[in-house]
Amino acid sequence: MRRDNRRVPGLHLPRLPGVVLLGGLLAAPLAASAAQAPAPTAAPPRSSTPSSSTPSSSTPSDPGPDDPSLPQAADEPATVETTAPAPEPLTRPTPPADTLPKAVVDEPSTPASEPPPPADGPKDPNQPPGYADGFHFGSYGRVIAGGDATGRPGRDADIVARGSRLDESNYAELELRREDYWKKTGAYTRIVATAAFANPFFHYNGQFAAAVALRNLYIEETGLGAKGLSIWAGSRMYRGDDIYLLNFWPLDNLNTIGGGLGYAFGDGQRTSIRVHAGLNQPTDPYYRQSVMRSPAHNQFGDTEVRLLDRQKLISSAKLTHLWPLSGTGGVKGIVYGEFHYVPGGQREVEDKLYEDVPKDAGFVAGGQLTLFTGERSTYLTATGRFAYGLAAYGEFNAPRQLRPDRKTTGAYEMMLTLSGNWERGPFAVMAGGYYRQFRNASKSLDFDDVNEGIIIARPTVWFGEKAGLSLEGSFQAQQRGVTFESAPGVFKPVLGTVGRAGIIPFVTPGGRGHFQRPHIYLMYVFTARDSAARSLYASDDVYARRKIDHLIGVGAEWWFGSTSYFRD
Amino acid sequence: MPRSTLWPRLTALPLMLALPIMPACLHFDTLDEPITIETHARDWRDEVIYQVLVDRFHDGNDGNNSLLDRENMARYHGGDWRGLEDKLDYIEELGVTTLWISPVVKNIETDANVDGYHGYWAVDLTRPNAHFGDLDELRSLVRAAHDRDMLVVIDIVTNHMGQLFFYDMNLNGVPDIQLSGTGARPQGSPVPDGFDQSGFTHLTEYDPDFNPIGIQAFTSLGPAGPAPIIFPYNAATGHITPAPAIFARAETYNRKGRTFNYDDPQQLLMGDFPGGLKDVDTTRYDVKVAMVDAYARWIELSDADGFRIDTVKHVEREFWRYFTQRVRQRLDKQGKKKFFMFGEAFDGNDALVGQFTKNDPPTPEELAVYAKEKDPGPTITGDQLDSAFYFPQHYQAFRDVMLDAQSTDRIATLWGNKATNYGTVPPALSAGVVPYKALVNFMDNHDVARFLYWAAQNPKDNSAGRQRALLHNALLLLFTAQGIPCLYYGTELEFRGGNDPSNREDMWRPLPYLGETKAPPAYDTTGPTFQFVKKLTTLRSTYAALRRADAKVIYSTAHTGDESDAGILAFERSGGDSNNYALIVLNTNQSHASSTKFEATTMATSAPPGAALVDVLDGKNTAYTVAGDGTLDLSLAPVTGMLLVPKQDLK
Repeated sequence: MRRDNRRVPGLHLPRLPGVVLLGGLLAAPLAASAAQAPAPTAAPPRSSTPSSSTPSSSTPSDPGPDDPSLPQAADEPATVETTAPAPEPLTRPTPPADTLPKAVVDEPSTPASEPPPPADGPKDPNQPPGYADGFHFGSYGRVIAGGDATGRPGRDADIVARGSRLDESNYAELELRREDYWKKTGAYTRIVATAAFANPFFHYNGQFAAAVALRNLYIEETGLGAKGLSIWAGSRMYRGDDIYLLNFWPLDNLNTIGGGLGYAFGDGQRTSIRVHAGLNQPTDPYYRQSVMRSPAHNQFGDTEVRLLDRQKLISSAKLTHLWPLSGTGGVKGIVYGEFHYVPGGQREVEDKLYEDVPKDAGFVAGGQLTLFTGERSTYLTATGRFAYGLAAYGEFNAPRQLRPDRKTTGAYEMMLTLSGNWERGPFAVMAGGYYRQFRNASKSLDFDDVNEGIIIARPTVWFGEKAGLSLEGSFQAQQRGVTFESAPGVFKPVLGTVGRAGIIPFVTPGGRGHFQRPHIYLMYVFTARDSAARSLYASDDVYARRKIDHLIGVGAEWWFGSTSYFRD
Repeated sequence: MPRSTLWPRLTALPLMLALPIMPACLHFDTLDEPITIETHARDWRDEVIYQVLVDRFHDGNDGNNSLLDRENMARYHGGDWRGLEDKLDYIEELGVTTLWISPVVKNIETDANVDGYHGYWAVDLTRPNAHFGDLDELRSLVRAAHDRDMLVVIDIVTNHMGQLFFYDMNLNGVPDIQLSGTGARPQGSPVPDGFDQSGFTHLTEYDPDFNPIGIQAFTSLGPAGPAPIIFPYNAATGHITPAPAIFARAETYNRKGRTFNYDDPQQLLMGDFPGGLKDVDTTRYDVKVAMVDAYARWIELSDADGFRIDTVKHVEREFWRYFTQRVRQRLDKQGKKKFFMFGEAFDGNDALVGQFTKNDPPTPEELAVYAKEKDPGPTITGDQLDSAFYFPQHYQAFRDVMLDAQSTDRIATLWGNKATNYGTVPPALSAGVVPYKALVNFMDNHDVARFLYWAAQNPKDNSAGRQRALLHNALLLLFTAQGIPCLYYGTELEFRGGNDPSNREDMWRPLPYLGETKAPPAYDTTGPTFQFVKKLTTLRSTYAALRRADAKVIYSTAHTGDESDAGILAFERSGGDSNNYALIVLNTNQSHASSTKFEATTMATSAPPGAALVDVLDGKNTAYTVAGDGTLDLSLAPVTGMLLVPKQDLK
C-alpha cells in the first residue's frame, strides 16, 4: 500500500543543553526509552509546508503607523497573527492624497511615510510600516533545544494531523520587502521575498547545508486602476486565519505560483472579494514521469523526456464581510471555495507500453464566522470546510487510494473547527479544536481513512509585563479504518487517544498578550498515549512502547515585520 | 459587540469543542459489525467451484496496490478481495456457486524477482495479505457471496512456509549463491545430475539439495556439523519475523534442503519445496496445534466454508488426521458444519492422491503423543480429508483423452477405481459426502498449462473451431462427471496461457476469442464459451442427476483409429441420491464421426425400452428412443457430445 507522508516532519530538537538545563529543574520521574522511529503518517494534510509559517492576518493592513484608527499597542496585540480581526476595513485603503509622500517621483520612491520613532525608543517591531517607504525586513522564527527524558531528540508526539505546536520543529522565515508609491498611476507596489529554513540547522548537525524554500516571491499592486483593487502575481503563501495552538490554517492555506485579484467594496471596505488561480506540480509520479530516450538525429547517449508532465490548477475565491458591533467589536463572515483540476496524460508502464491517466477535479466549500471584541485579541472563530475529490488530498499531495478508474471520485475531507482567545488583566486563555473526517477514494476502509479530533487549551498568567506562565492541555483521538483484535475474536476499529499537558514559563519584552512576541521560554510537556495510539507506530518505535513521554526544552519564538502580519 | 454580551458566548467554547469528538462521531460502519459464523453449505456435490487467483481477477481497491508490475507475470498485478466482490455479478451469471480464493495470509513480498502474488509463500499466518485487502474486505467478500447463496473456499498451505531463512552452510553469516557449470548441455541428452535445463547448477544457501541428515556446514577445514539457519530481516521484501512465534524457531522446520526426488518418501515429506519454501516439521505436536489454531481462526474471522489444501502429499497422514478432525470439531462447536476440505496432490498416481481421503487409523505411537501432551478433544480417529483435487483425472481424462484422443477405456478404468483408491465413508462432522463421490474435478488450474494452450498444439487440427470444440467437449465432461466441477478463472473467456506463470492472466485484459482478432470487453458474458459454461451450469442446476446421482460408464473403447466407435465414452448418472437419470455421450475422436456401436455390440443403457431421451445440449432438444432391448445407437460428429435426459424430465 503506498502511503504519502502527509505529516510535517517530526521535531528533532538539539539534545543539549536544553535537556541538561531543564533536567535539573524538573523533579518528575523520567521514562525510559529505546530506539527511535519516524512518527506515523496522518492523512491528509492541511498544510503541505514543512512547518508552519508565519501566522497570518485576517485583518486588513492599515495605512500606516500614524493612522489614528489603528489599535494601539497597549491594548492590542502587536501582531495580528490570529483570527482576531481588528475593526479596521478589510483591505488596505488607498491613502488620501494629503497623506501621500511629499517627494513623489516617477520612479519607485524611497520611503516617504516613515513612521515617527516612539519617543521612548525604537518603534514597535510589529507596527505595520507605512506604504511606499522602501525596504523592510520581517521574520518569523522558532528554535527549540530539547529532548525527551532519555536524551533522545524531541519529536512530534501527536497522532492527529494537527496537534500542539510545542513540539513543532525548528523553522525560520526571513522576509525582504520593497514597497513603493508610483506618482504617475497612484498605485502602490509591494515586492515580497520570503526565504524559509527548516530543521536541522547548522549548529545542530554541523552540516554546512540548509533546507531552504522560497515561500514568497511576488508583486502586488494596489490601487492600480481602481480604488480598492489589488492585483498580484508570483509565488505566494495564500492563507487566512489560523489556530495558533495547532499551527494550523483550517479554512484556506494555499501555496501556488499564480496570480489573483482583490477588491474591497465601498468606502468602508467592509466587504471584499479575492480570487486567485495558481499552478503547482508536486514531486510525484502522479504528476510527472521522465524517461530516457535516444537523442535526436542519431546522437550518442540518452536524454530525458518527460512523458507525463501535468500541473495542478488551483483556484480560489473568498468573500469576506465585516459587521461592526458596538465598541470595537464585530463579526466577520467568510465564504470560501476552491476548485482543483489536473488534466489527463499518459505514462509509460513498461518499455514503450503506455497507459492513460485520467483528468481529475475537486472542490472545497467552506465558511468562517468570527466574533471579536477588538480588545486584546479576544475572539471566537468557527469554521466549516468540505473538500471533495482531488481537493480532499490538499494542494501539495498526490492522491492515493484511488478508484479503480484512477480518479479521486468519492474522496472527501470534512472539518469543523472552533478556536478563540480571551484576555483580561494578567490572565488569558486560548483554546482550539477540530473534528475531521477523511476518506480516500477507494471504496474500502483502510488505514488512511480517518476520523480524528483534538481539544487544546492554553491558560496564561503574566507576572507583570515581562514574564508569564502558560499551561497547556490537550486531548486528541484518532480512529483509523482498520481493526485490531481487542479481545479474542473481537475486532474494533483502532481508536487511539493521547493526552498531553505542558507548563511553559516565558519572558517577553513586549508585554502581555498571547500574540505578543518575542518569547523565550522553557517547556515541559507530558504525553500519555493508550495502547491503540501506540499501535499506530511501527514495531520497535519507542512510541509503540511508551505509555508516557516527556518533552523538555528551551525555545524562542518571534515574529515581526512580515507581510503576512499586516498586509492582507 | 460589547464585551459583556460577547463573553457568555465565549464561555460556551469548551462545550462546543467537546462536541466534535464525541464517540458517536468516530464510527466506521462495517468495522463495528460483530463476527459470527454459521453453516451455509448444503450438499457440496451441488456446488460448482470457480478457482480465482485473486491478484489477477479484478483490482477493486487502489489502496492496497503496492509495487505493482502488471507487465511482469511474476509480480503483483493488483487484484484484491474488493475487486472480486465487485465482480460477483459476473461470476454469478456464469452459474458457479463456490469461490476458491488464493491463500489469504501475509506472504513474503518478493524473492528473487518474483512476488508472492499467488499467496503460497506464507510468512505470517495471523495477518491477511494486505495486497488482497484487510479482514473487513475479506469478510465483506464472504458475506456478499453468502448473500448470493455462494460459498467461499480458502486456499491454505501447511506443508511449508515461504523462503524464510537460509542455511548458513559456510558459516559466514550471509546467504551465498553461486552459479556453476558451462551454461551448455548436450542437445538431446538428459539433463545431467545437478544441472537444470539451462546447463547451470545454482548452489545456493537458500535452497540446497536435500540431505537426509540435514543440511551440513562446511568450512575450509572440513565438515562443521549441521548448518545453522538464519532468518534474514528485510521489511521491504517481506522477510519479517514469522508468526505465530513457533514459526520463527529453527526446530519447527525439517531443515533438510530441497526435494529433488519425489519418489524418495523422506524427501517427499521432509524436503523443502522447490523455490526455497521451507518445509515445516508437521509431525510435531506443537506444529499441529499451531496450524489448527492459525487456520481455524481464519474461518472464525471470515465465515468461509471450506479449505483447499495445498501440497498434501508432502505432509504426513498423521498430520491430516489431527488437523482435519480438530478443525471440524472446533468449527462445529461454533455452528459451522459441513465444512469442506479437499487436498491437492500434484500427482497422477490415483492411489497416492486418494490416500488422504481414506479412513486411516492412527498409530499407537501417534496417540501416545497426544496422551502425553494432554491434547484436549476427542481421541483422534482415522478420518482425514473430505475430498481430493482429482489430479489423476486431469492427466488421464482431460489430457490423454480429451486432448490427445487416447482410448476412452482409461477413463472407465480410472473411475472404476474410485471406490478403491478414495475414501468410502464420510469423516465425522465432515461435509457428509462420501469422498470418492465428491472428488473435485478440473481441467486445468494455476499449476498447469491451460487446456487451450495444449489444444493449440494439436498436430492434426489446431483451427479455432477445433480448439473450441475440444474445450467444449472437455467442459461437458467436467460438468457432468460425478464429483464437484471446478473451473479455473478465465476458461470461460478462452484464456490459453502456458505453464506458470503464463496461465495466470489478468481477467481485465482478455484475449480475442478463438478465431478473432479483437479482444472482447473485460468480463464479457456474451462469448461462446461463457455461454456454453453458463448452459452447463444451468443444466447441472436443473437436473439433480448431474449433481447427486452415481456414475456408471456404459460405453468406452480402446479404439482410437478408424473403428466405428473410436473415441466414444458414455456414462449414466442415476441412482445414488437422485431419482433422475441422465446419459452423457462424448465422441473424443478428432478424425471422424463415431457411434455407440462396434460391430454387433451396441451400447446398452439402463433406461427403459422405448424411453425417449432428449439431447438438451443441441439446442433443438432432439429426442432419441431407447431400443426394445435397452440399447441405444447414437452417432456423434468428431469432438462433440450429448447430454440426454428422459423426455418426461425435460424442463
